Amino acid sequence: MIRDFILHESLSDLLKTLSGFGEVHGPVLSDDGVMTFGPIRAAENLQLNYSRTLLPPKKYLLPPRETVLSFAPDKGYLPPDSAIPMIVLFGLHPCDLQGIAYLDTVFLGDRDDPLYRARRNALTLIGLSCEPDDYCFCGDFSSAGMHGFDLFMRRSEEGFLLTDGTPKGKAILDSLTPHLAESDSGPAARRECNIAETIRQASIRGETFEESPLWDDFAERCLSCGACSLCCPTCYCFDLREYGALDGETAIRLREWDNCLFRTHGEVAGGFNFRKSRQERFHYRYQHKYLGFGPTRGMVSCVGCGRCRQVCPVRIDLLELFKKGSDDKLS
Amino acid sequence: MTSFRDTTSVPLLATICNLQELSGDTTLYRLCLETDAGEPFSFTPGQFVQLSVPLGGEAPISLAGPPRHDNSFELCVRRVGHVTDMLHRHLSGNRVGIRGPFGNGFPLSEWSGRNILLLAGGLGIAPLRSLLYTLLMRRKEFGEITLMYGAREPAAILFKEDLAELSSRRDMHLFVTVDFAAEEYPGGLTCNTGMLPTLLKGVNFTTADTVAAVCGPPALYRCVIEELHALGIPSERIFLSLERRMKCGTGLCCHCAVGDLFCCTDGPVFRHSDLKEIRGSL
Repeated sequence: MIRDFILHESLSDLLKTLSGFGEVHGPVLSDDGVMTFGPIRAAENLQLNYSRTLLPPKKYLLPPRETVLSFAPDKGYLPPDSAIPMIVLFGLHPCDLQGIAYLDTVFLGDRDDPLYRARRNALTLIGLSCEPDDYCFCGDFSSAGMHGFDLFMRRSEEGFLLTDGTPKGKAILDSLTPHLAESDSGPAARRECNIAETIRQASIRGETFEESPLWDDFAERCLSCGACSLCCPTCYCFDLREYGALDGETAIRLREWDNCLFRTHGEVAGGFNFRKSRQERFHYRYQHKYLGFGPTRGMVSCVGCGRCRQVCPVRIDLLELFKKGSDDKLS
Repeated sequence: MTSFRDTTSVPLLATICNLQELSGDTTLYRLCLETDAGEPFSFTPGQFVQLSVPLGGEAPISLAGPPRHDNSFELCVRRVGHVTDMLHRHLSGNRVGIRGPFGNGFPLSEWSGRNILLLAGGLGIAPLRSLLYTLLMRRKEFGEITLMYGAREPAAILFKEDLAELSSRRDMHLFVTVDFAAEEYPGGLTCNTGMLPTLLKGVNFTTADTVAAVCGPPALYRCVIEELHALGIPSERIFLSLERRMKCGTGLCCHCAVGDLFCCTDGPVFRHSDLKEIRGSL
């Protein structure tokens, strides 16, 4: 028997231990009633039964607006030197862990992004098992073991079974020892999801659903509000914008979330637009999400969290493409 | 200022050493990079830089001259948006920022021994000017060299002095055409009236073992490809330099994807055979 189990009543001990590794953030209800990742002031504020937050944890790695350069006439352009706070992200569902793993491959791959790396190094990831609802479809993504978590918590009736995934996770487990109990729970039940497999197969054969009538249907309804991409854990398109200061001499350059559903996304100087119609913009989004661009070619970046299906004000659901294209039914 | 800075993410300062107005809205800038060692700025024709105009922002601009042996290079910029509008208010001696060079450029080594046809429409002359002068500097390596350049109207013809000089060279062919010629054409050059595809139809030149390098507005690509095929130049030997709004230049920001390729890292020079199946590429 190994001591790798934490009882519900020891949760505040766990949080206290974790606070030694950084400020603990997790799912909490904001003042305006939105489920969000935010600082956990006390264990009772934690929403451990949450289904999903409105914004995914990507905001910790790619803030909506982030200074990437500052300009002064005597210094030229310089990168920021501000310290990045250490943060422990507590209660990440497997889909969100998978989202972070995808962003890691993009920003820590062959084009290593120093700002992303600094923020990523300052994060400790604590995963939490979940119960699927009507919107999500992650399938076997949810069986812990394949993601970049430091520590994963599998929930059972009495508490949580802990698994470490990194040396940092091991260090956390070690310092938790006095609060741990013995467990006898078996392996996690495997979760089946047909649509996740259907998506994978469609991606492998490079499916573009060129003939599907759904594109017209989507384009007709879409408001180009961009909510689907804002709340997507793996959407990372960004714009670079420079803002001059009132002194007329200095400036900061920000990296800001951009959105492929916006009209300006495909525009070039002089006003010509390579993705003028909403339909073209949907194709672009589909291509990026399910087939991949450049080094992520062949990678499905949809993690099945269900956020886009839930937030779309006109109920557009890209999954319909896959449902039409196969005999599989949404589970 | 160190010369070891990461020039893909942090702009290096450059001084405007010289500027020359080429038309009402287009100016040629010579920029000198401020590096400690003053090492040459090396690049391949067809590559681009991200030009920062302080307080304005950044825009991707093609290199317009051949690589030189010093730390300077040329950019041909049309006043057409926020950043370029601010640039056009700058004077000689002012400073801008430069990231790059980015992209693949034209595969010159692959063209060795071949005839080369350059087709430029409008501002598309900028990267092809870089290419042409590089080819001419290495003249012996290539077969026939032909430049066909189409502009909207006589006043919009860029690099008139260069063209006048090139027209007298015996080691290349030059054809210039304008879409409309309402006014008297400024002397020194023979110039046709009509679009580039029409010009292509009417000109006799060797097309066997010829590669074509094309740069111009999207409409140019659509109508010129067919003519090139008719002349016997296959898609594999047609190289197009595409325009997209690259924001990062390093394949991260995802604004410039063409199919599953990035214009900034896989391009901006693409073989037509790699593009023809991609919806929305041209």
